[in-house]
Amino acid sequence: MDMSPYRDLFVSESRNHLATFNALIVQLEDNVFDRAAVDEMFRHAHSLKGMAATMQFDAVTAVAHRMEDLLGRVRSEEIAFCPALADLLLEGSDLLSGMVSAIENGEVPQSDAASLIERLAAFTPGPPESPELPPADADPESMAVDSPPGKSLFRQSDSFNSIRVKTETLDRLVNITGELITTRHRLMDRARRHAGQALDEPLHQLSTLLRELREEVFKSRMLPFAVVADRFPRLVRDLARKQGKEVSLQIEGKEIELDRGILEAITEPLVHILRNAVDHGMEKPDARVAAGKPPGGVVTVTVARDKDHVDITVADDGRGMDPHRLAQKAVEKGILTPAQAYNISRQAALMLVCVPGFTTAVAVSDVSGRGVGMDVVRTAVHVLGGTLAIESETGRGSRFILRLPISVSIIHALLVECGKLTLAFPVNTVSRTIELRRGDIFEEDGRKVFALEGRHIALKSLNRLLRQPLAQRTGPIVPTVVSETGGAMAGLVTDRFLRQEEIFVKPLGIPLSRMKNLTGGTITGDGRIVFVVDASTLV
Amino acid sequence: MSATVMIVDDAVFMRNILRAIITDKGYTVVAEAASGIEAMKILHDQNPDIVILDIILPDANGLDLLESILTVRPQAKVVICSSISQEPIIKKALDHGAKAFIQKPFTPEKVLAALESLEA
Repeated sequence: MDMSPYRDLFVSESRNHLATFNALIVQLEDNVFDRAAVDEMFRHAHSLKGMAATMQFDAVTAVAHRMEDLLGRVRSEEIAFCPALADLLLEGSDLLSGMVSAIENGEVPQSDAASLIERLAAFTPGPPESPELPPADADPESMAVDSPPGKSLFRQSDSFNSIRVKTETLDRLVNITGELITTRHRLMDRARRHAGQALDEPLHQLSTLLRELREEVFKSRMLPFAVVADRFPRLVRDLARKQGKEVSLQIEGKEIELDRGILEAITEPLVHILRNAVDHGMEKPDARVAAGKPPGGVVTVTVARDKDHVDITVADDGRGMDPHRLAQKAVEKGILTPAQAYNISRQAALMLVCVPGFTTAVAVSDVSGRGVGMDVVRTAVHVLGGTLAIESETGRGSRFILRLPISVSIIHALLVECGKLTLAFPVNTVSRTIELRRGDIFEEDGRKVFALEGRHIALKSLNRLLRQPLAQRTGPIVPTVVSETGGAMAGLVTDRFLRQEEIFVKPLGIPLSRMKNLTGGTITGDGRIVFVVDASTLV
Repeated sequence: MSATVMIVDDAVFMRNILRAIITDKGYTVVAEAASGIEAMKILHDQNPDIVILDIILPDANGLDLLESILTVRPQAKVVICSSISQEPIIKKALDHGAKAFIQKPFTPEKVLAALESLEA
């Protein structure tokens, strides 16, 4: 039987299993007597093994099998859970993750797992450090696993209340909905002009329905913050262990739902802030104790939703940042003059960490401190239409607050230069781009046209339509965007093609929203404002 | 033949593959369940000819569930599907009323052979 149609499902299911598996390992380290967690981990390894065996991915099956065996030994209390065991399981999980990615790319997963498999099979714990466990009544022949309800992280059932939808499909739904709304505007325009008030009532109905549709489509793009946050505990744990620090991570608001596009965009920035919190922010246990703090530090990630925005806060109880020292460093680096440094506000001083190249790390660790991080974080937040705020108290800790809008549209767009503007054409309105030559352009019925696949297409000047200064053409090439919308097709002459990009589109507020030719705006990575063009009003 | 079948397995992946294998051969999948509770709810209203049951489910003891199924639908032919290979357990399941056993990982041939053996 051909198994390839099941590959996607195998990949996504495996990823789910591995993600929960990782979370459970970290959870178990906090409480090694958590039998339910051990049982769950066993089940995940077991399921992974089963799926891999059915798909005949022998390499994956072999590793999963060993991990299942090892967990079986923990379940039957032959061995106790300990950090060395956790490390081994995490290594196995990482290896499996890599194999799953290889499978996703259509490659055969590497079977260089011989060493790990041996170590998994041969694992013996170090000298016992934990007190005796309560007696088990585990029947090795039992066919079922008892777990107290409610404590399990296992998705209880993949029932029929939800279905999987490809994210591209959802993106397309959002785009189509956006176009429906634009089209409705044009419809209303024409209706008023040709039919007076006769069509008002059904059009009003249409507006209401479209608003509802838009809301539902946006909701369908929402995912819980947990999707991003689930990898954080592992990340913090690994970092802290590497640096000999004790850090515990608390996450609040995991269940709060955010737009998928936003989640994707803030994942790396949040990872960076977390790394900074452990790397720079957190002191080693003896330094903390000397400062009158508990030896273990706490990092909290809190998500809170308001009507039209969401706040994601990363806070730590570490050493904090000193605005004076930051300002001083800025002077040393030539970013500020001494006078500016003297007058700088506390807030602005803290934001200095976002200046490219700025770092107060004494040594550049391999994790962070290279000075390329926080500025990227700030840009990422701005591109989404959000804001970044930093609060800190020397000796007490720091807080990074990302305030983001609730929903964003992402579209694939062609960016062009037109006079003083950079404009974005949604790619679904662009049939193609052409570099015309003067000889290709001729007159017909008083307008300029050019030939394309046997048809004569009208040629218009984008600069003229948008009242931009005309370019001085230096060469024979006339860059033209051929756009087809609403049944009409035209070539729009512009100054220069720039590039294709995925952009986050924010609707324009009043009064810009009254402009006929624009449907939205965005900020590019380098901080420039780009307007999204409504091709249907130009063609 | 259009014998009706209910598939009980907590993994979407497994349900999909089983469904594909048997519908190809003309069986009709009338229901799927991912847990013991769901399975019992479905059996309240539906009477499938065959139940393919994975006995490792997160919320139920396999043998108990087998008994419950046969209490509510005594005519149902239950096929146990599991990665457990120990003879004593297979024997226990058959003693409790299961009619056939499919070992995971399965091949389409194994699954269909098990289903065909039910007609005997």
